[in-house]
Amino acid sequence: MREKVVHACESCALREQLVQMGVRVDRFDYVLALAGNPNTGKSTLFNALTGLRQHTGNWTGKTVARMEGAFEFNGKRYKIVDLPGTYSLLSASVDEEVARDFVLFANPDAVIVVVDATALERNLNLVLQVLEITDRVVVCLNLIDEAERKGIEVDHRALSRELGVPVVPTAARQGVGLGLLVQTVAELVQGRLRTSPRRVKVDARVEQALAELVPLLRQVYPDLPNARWVAMRLLDGDYNVRRALESGDLLRLARREAHDQELEQARAQAVSILSLAQRLQRQLEGTFRDRMVESLYAEAEAIAQKVVRRKGERRWDWDQRLDRILTSRVWGLPIMGLLLMGVFWTTIQGANVISDLLATALFWVEAQGSALFRALGAPWWLTGFVWHGVYRGLAWVVSVMLPPMAIFFPIFTILEDMGYLPRVAFNMDRFFKKAGAHGKQALTMAMGLGCNAAGVVATRIINSPRERLIAILTNNFMPCNGRWPLLITMSTLFVAASFPPAFAAAVAAGALVLVVLIGVVTTFVVSAVLSRTILKGEASSFTLELPPYRKPNVLAVLYTSLIDRTLVVLWRAVVMAAPAGGVIWLLANIHAGGQSLSQWISGWLDPVGRAIGLDGVVLLAYIIAIPANEIVVPTIIMTYLGAGMMTELESLNDLRRLLVDQHGWTTMTAINLMLFSLLHNPCSTTILTIWRETKSAKWAWLGALLPLSIAFGVLLLLNSIVRALQ
Amino acid sequence: MLDNSVLLVVLLLLLLIFAPQQGVYARWRQKQWLRSRAAMEDALMHLHQREHSGRLASVESLAGALGVSTRLASMLVQRMEAQGLLQVTAGGLNLTPEGHRLAIQVVRAHRLFERYLAYETSVSPAEVHELAHRLEHSLTPQQVEQLDAYMGHPLSDPHGDPIPTASGEMPEIEGQSLVDFPIGTPAQIVHVEDEPPHVYAQIVAEGLRPGMVVRVLERSPTRLVLESDTDEHVLAPVVAANITVREAPQEKLALEGERLSALEPGEKATVLRIDDACQGLTRRRFLDLGITPGAHVEVVMRSAFGDPVAYRVRDTLIALRREQADWIWVRRDGNGTTPHRTQGEDDGEVTNGK
Repeated sequence: MREKVVHACESCALREQLVQMGVRVDRFDYVLALAGNPNTGKSTLFNALTGLRQHTGNWTGKTVARMEGAFEFNGKRYKIVDLPGTYSLLSASVDEEVARDFVLFANPDAVIVVVDATALERNLNLVLQVLEITDRVVVCLNLIDEAERKGIEVDHRALSRELGVPVVPTAARQGVGLGLLVQTVAELVQGRLRTSPRRVKVDARVEQALAELVPLLRQVYPDLPNARWVAMRLLDGDYNVRRALESGDLLRLARREAHDQELEQARAQAVSILSLAQRLQRQLEGTFRDRMVESLYAEAEAIAQKVVRRKGERRWDWDQRLDRILTSRVWGLPIMGLLLMGVFWTTIQGANVISDLLATALFWVEAQGSALFRALGAPWWLTGFVWHGVYRGLAWVVSVMLPPMAIFFPIFTILEDMGYLPRVAFNMDRFFKKAGAHGKQALTMAMGLGCNAAGVVATRIINSPRERLIAILTNNFMPCNGRWPLLITMSTLFVAASFPPAFAAAVAAGALVLVVLIGVVTTFVVSAVLSRTILKGEASSFTLELPPYRKPNVLAVLYTSLIDRTLVVLWRAVVMAAPAGGVIWLLANIHAGGQSLSQWISGWLDPVGRAIGLDGVVLLAYIIAIPANEIVVPTIIMTYLGAGMMTELESLNDLRRLLVDQHGWTTMTAINLMLFSLLHNPCSTTILTIWRETKSAKWAWLGALLPLSIAFGVLLLLNSIVRALQ
Repeated sequence: MLDNSVLLVVLLLLLLIFAPQQGVYARWRQKQWLRSRAAMEDALMHLHQREHSGRLASVESLAGALGVSTRLASMLVQRMEAQGLLQVTAGGLNLTPEGHRLAIQVVRAHRLFERYLAYETSVSPAEVHELAHRLEHSLTPQQVEQLDAYMGHPLSDPHGDPIPTASGEMPEIEGQSLVDFPIGTPAQIVHVEDEPPHVYAQIVAEGLRPGMVVRVLERSPTRLVLESDTDEHVLAPVVAANITVREAPQEKLALEGERLSALEPGEKATVLRIDDACQGLTRRRFLDLGITPGAHVEVVMRSAFGDPVAYRVRDTLIALRREQADWIWVRRDGNGTTPHRTQGEDDGEVTNGK
């Protein structure tokens, strides 16, 4: 079934709507859409059908992930667009809007609706909605293996008769039924299979309204295949459908080419359609959505009753028993704590090993490269800028950043895949509710410990606008792995040093935990303030689905977490770190009046630095390190030593001599530095990510300036108090 | 000497600029205000409200309503008269047809915006009126129309006040004051007056909202005792006078049941309805998840700290917070066996359980 994709199609039918939705169709014969509720195994099916021929991106103008993939069957090329997982197409969220617009306006050749055989009733709600829009539908009855284990039997033939479209039972994880699914889709798109989709019987008052509106729509748009559904959307006050009517897009949907004259006419008639729709809407007194959904579910219930048979009563046993432990008052928190600690321990231990190897290799390349440049007679400044500036910055960031992310993200994704993480959100929600936030923020915060940019992207799982913004704007208060090296160095060198050696290690660890706790407290305080002030105008709603526990799909997890999280974040960091490396080298090597630029600038910054208990060099390092926090410590050392490139000292003793003996650092300096590192503005990658995720420069600015001002405020206050006490 | 005279001149100049009411800055501010859309729209709304209640507005009442001096109010009146929006008559200030038309549009924008804030954002009920009042003036006519379409051309704002249509028709509210309503007869609240704010705040605090069904239990000159679905409310007559009710329609009567949040883990129930006061995003989410009348719900487990609670709805585990579960009215299933359906699915009428 999986053949290689044939390239270069010279004469493909033009598909305007698909192109408009950003789908590249040039090399494909058919375009399919994959719809379904969340947690139905839709992604598994998508992966199974397309293998590694995938492309991830975003929907144009939306922060909703978009997956596209391809496969070939019997010499025809198919493109699959994976729509966001939704319960409905009646647009309660951006996800639903994206999915709905694609099915309605892009006019794909077929829609595969994936349904969960263990929760047919709820899944049928979506199927019935899709059937109102298009008759080119194949229902993929997935997870039949899980249903069997739970004693649920679905008669797929009867279901197919009820729905009027083909139904193919599958177990996508085991690859069961996929051949038949593809075969059925092929027959459907080639017109060898006829469907007669079931249309929902709506309640009497809605039916009455439809009886007035649909004929008028049919009169203006005789070719419109789904006039009834368009009428329903108008009665629901759907803004996009209304606009399509006003702009004439609806006519283009009905007929591929429309004359200007016809367009003009259709636009004129849109006014009368809309005013009729408005009158009918008022007659329904705003109850359309309720009545519609009630009818949909009543129908879904009726169908499910005919086709689903349950055997025995032990169906939820295993899940329930696990849930009772994982969410219990006694065991819930300790288990969560142990798991999180295990994840971090594994990450730090594993990362150390890989980090060292990687650093050795990358810096060996630097030595070879600069030697080569010298041998070729390149001027010293070229060698220095390219190898000791740009390359060194890049190598530094990669060797510090890549290993922990490559370990942390897959483990995290596996926990997610197993269904454990939603339980964490469930347990922690009580605290987040008090701060006006969502329990899932616990997950994005944990993600932020790996990388804040990844944490910000992860906020997509929070489906309530206000709570999502809160999670985005406060993610920075979780120290990411770029900041860990500094925190660890400071706590071992200074905090632990003031205790007897026997306790040193424990104290250092305790100091780190304390830093994270301060970060957590700050997150809650800032969340609470934000939700009660500037974010009060945002919509807010809490629902949290707790999917059944499932065996994780380890290979798929490794693939997606490497591609989606690690590599994407790494690439952005590299783009930022290389120029920063160049800038650092220039600052250290351009001299004026007997001092390097970096010494001049740190001299100017010194008064500001002293005010918050640091010094000019530290501030300079932070400014240069906005692109990547990993290079703060090497830049500080470089400037103190007056060296020409970022450096690390071999032993902690050397470092102590440099910082304490030569530059007068105290324990207080270290505490200030740790606090500043925890609270200051996020790195430029994160700021850019905030901007992309919110589509708003305002939130990006706030996300950068809010932590920065908090950092300065806290340090000013702390140091004034300390000075007053002395 | 010289120093003192310089200081005096500076002081005088400052006084000239910053004197309240008469200073240059104050006058400039007043002029700005007079020209502003907000002043005119607020005046139109006040005149309209007065006209509606049967007594015409005066310059004094206008000054009071807008919180400005009588002098400024009369300047505003002159300005609006010159624009043909109102006429000064012996009985008071009269809106011209054009003024009336504009006033209705202002009322429309205000009430639509109130509804939007109340149902689609996290602004608290007590703040809605104030915020809508400040922000309504910045809406363009297109935005008002978009808002209207987005919310499905609603009939009334969260207080039960009717929202005029785009063409200016204003549906009337029928009903009588709660103070005069007969004891014992089920009454549905159709309107809650949002002025004055401290009285409104009391009504909000009691949890009384348009759409609710209540029953007067007892009435005396000093107090009024009400019964709603779950609570008893004691109101002062002044407060009760701000609540308009009508006889509850048949379909709203059989609203027995309890809140989903009252159930314990292990219990099963059938959904009767989602509370009328639950609108916007949360209601749409509930519907999408299949929380519709007749749906079966089972309380599965509490989270480690007691809230939220996980419910099984249509074979899926969904966690809801306490205040959300409060919106859902259910009837407990007897012993959790063979739950009964409210009615057949095929008769087309799927309204609330009768």
